Amino acid sequence: MIDRLRLKRHGILLAFVLPALLFYATFLLAPAFGGIWYSLTDWNGLNPLYAFVGLDNYAEALTEDPSFGHAVFFTLKYVLFMVVLQNALAILVAVLIESRAKTKAVFRTIFFMPNMLSMIIGGFMWMFVFTRVLPELAMRTGLTFLDRSWIGDPSFSFYAILIVSLWGGVGYLMVIYIAALQGVPSSLKEAAAIDGAGVWHTFRYITLPMIYPALTIGIFLTLNSSFKVFDAVFALTGGGPGRETQVIALNIFEEAFGFSNRYGYASAKAMILFLIVLVITIVQLRLMKRREVEA
Amino acid sequence: MLIVGAAFTLLPIYMGVLNSVKTEGEMLNGILSWPRHFAWSNYADAYRKIDFLRSLGNTAAVTAVGLAGIVLFAAMAGYKLSRTPGKLSGFLFSLFVLSMLIPFHSIMITLVRIAKNLAVQGSTVGLGLIYIGLGVSMAIFLYHGFVKSIPRDLDEAAVIDGCGEFRLFFSVILPLLLPVTATVAILNALWMWNDFLLPLLMLTDASSYTLLLSTNMLFGQYGNNDWSAILASLVLALLPVVVLYLLLQKYILNGIADGAIKG
Repeated sequence: MIDRLRLKRHGILLAFVLPALLFYATFLLAPAFGGIWYSLTDWNGLNPLYAFVGLDNYAEALTEDPSFGHAVFFTLKYVLFMVVLQNALAILVAVLIESRAKTKAVFRTIFFMPNMLSMIIGGFMWMFVFTRVLPELAMRTGLTFLDRSWIGDPSFSFYAILIVSLWGGVGYLMVIYIAALQGVPSSLKEAAAIDGAGVWHTFRYITLPMIYPALTIGIFLTLNSSFKVFDAVFALTGGGPGRETQVIALNIFEEAFGFSNRYGYASAKAMILFLIVLVITIVQLRLMKRREVEA
Repeated sequence: MLIVGAAFTLLPIYMGVLNSVKTEGEMLNGILSWPRHFAWSNYADAYRKIDFLRSLGNTAAVTAVGLAGIVLFAAMAGYKLSRTPGKLSGFLFSLFVLSMLIPFHSIMITLVRIAKNLAVQGSTVGLGLIYIGLGVSMAIFLYHGFVKSIPRDLDEAAVIDGCGEFRLFFSVILPLLLPVTATVAILNALWMWNDFLLPLLMLTDASSYTLLLSTNMLFGQYGNNDWSAILASLVLALLPVVVLYLLLQKYILNGIADGAIKG
């Protein structure tokens, strides 16, 4: 009797979960496990016959592939800049917006707007700014430093990619930080002001500790999204010149769907990306959660 | 400082819109200046070249299929998983949630293969179905958390009144899930509408292209030499989103904040 009840309960549970599970298993779980398997083979994506090569792909990606090494290094540099700049700017914008009661809504609307647009569209629009608007602006104002080969020169295209990514990403984090700031009791800030704390001290010793949990989320989200950056680079430089601005995602994309069609090898690179993101985000969450408790 | 930031934020959009009504010749006379005559023909041109109505329809179809599936299936699963104690439901819930860590790039290669085999590659509806699979995890997580705030007494009262399991869900629970459904819908609609890589991999025929793919193709054809045609198409592509944003911004911003904090 009890077993029948349990069976019925399981049956109902499955009836509710099955539709989601079906799609999920087909389009996420199966490709994930398939990816692990293919990463151990020399499959070229077309040929039904392929050989098991063990960890050869991983060894090749990590030791014999300068383009992948460059992409990993370039991505890490990008991630580092993004984590610091994106969160700092988002907090700055959030604090400034929160301090102005009247124009709050207008500025929030403006700063979030890029987030509504695809980074492909935004990237193309920025390309227009970099290639046509800035040179003319430089000519008219004499600010010659604006007139660079933003797209063609790799040392500047790194900054171009950064600018576009920040432009598109700051608004999202700003929304999170504004929500966190609204949770900071104003009595604390008033008490600090009475004690003679300046703007910086109030921020450093009152506001920042109070929004620390949001910082954990903000850095987590930035890490997660910037390791996977694709659209902004694709639209702006396409990874060029040469492969100078190629990020990991673009490197994997070209390996699989470009000329070489090395699906197995590209799968191994994708697994390496997964492991890098996994390890770094777990370490980040561990470290920051620990400080959250102390703070 | 805020004003400088806001100006910087609006700069590419303003420049894009301003120059989208100039001919290439007039652009040479001044990128920054106000157009002397409006070259609306750029828009007529772009409208044709990106097949605007069809691309817009394709994007809407993908988003609608994905959204309907994600909301319905995730609400069902999230609700029942939250209400059922036990090992099986705990296992299923962790299975959904843990995979949120898997980056898309790690699965895309095999996903293309699977989509080909199942013949869902190449169609907008097929693409929508794939989004269901990729999107249900986070939605289930959000629904699962929200359901805890709905008193169980409600379920019991409805059962005593003679409600079956499915009627209970559809006529009692689902309407109560509206706030979290709004968040789920906003987050997922934005993601699917603006996603580029998956459509690029899945949609092989120009007739099924989304707005982003059509615009990208235009760019591929002309490079960055013919800005007057390209800018008009970029403005056309971003118009629907901006209009929607200005109309619904209160819900969108709240939805983003809720999603980030609970997700």
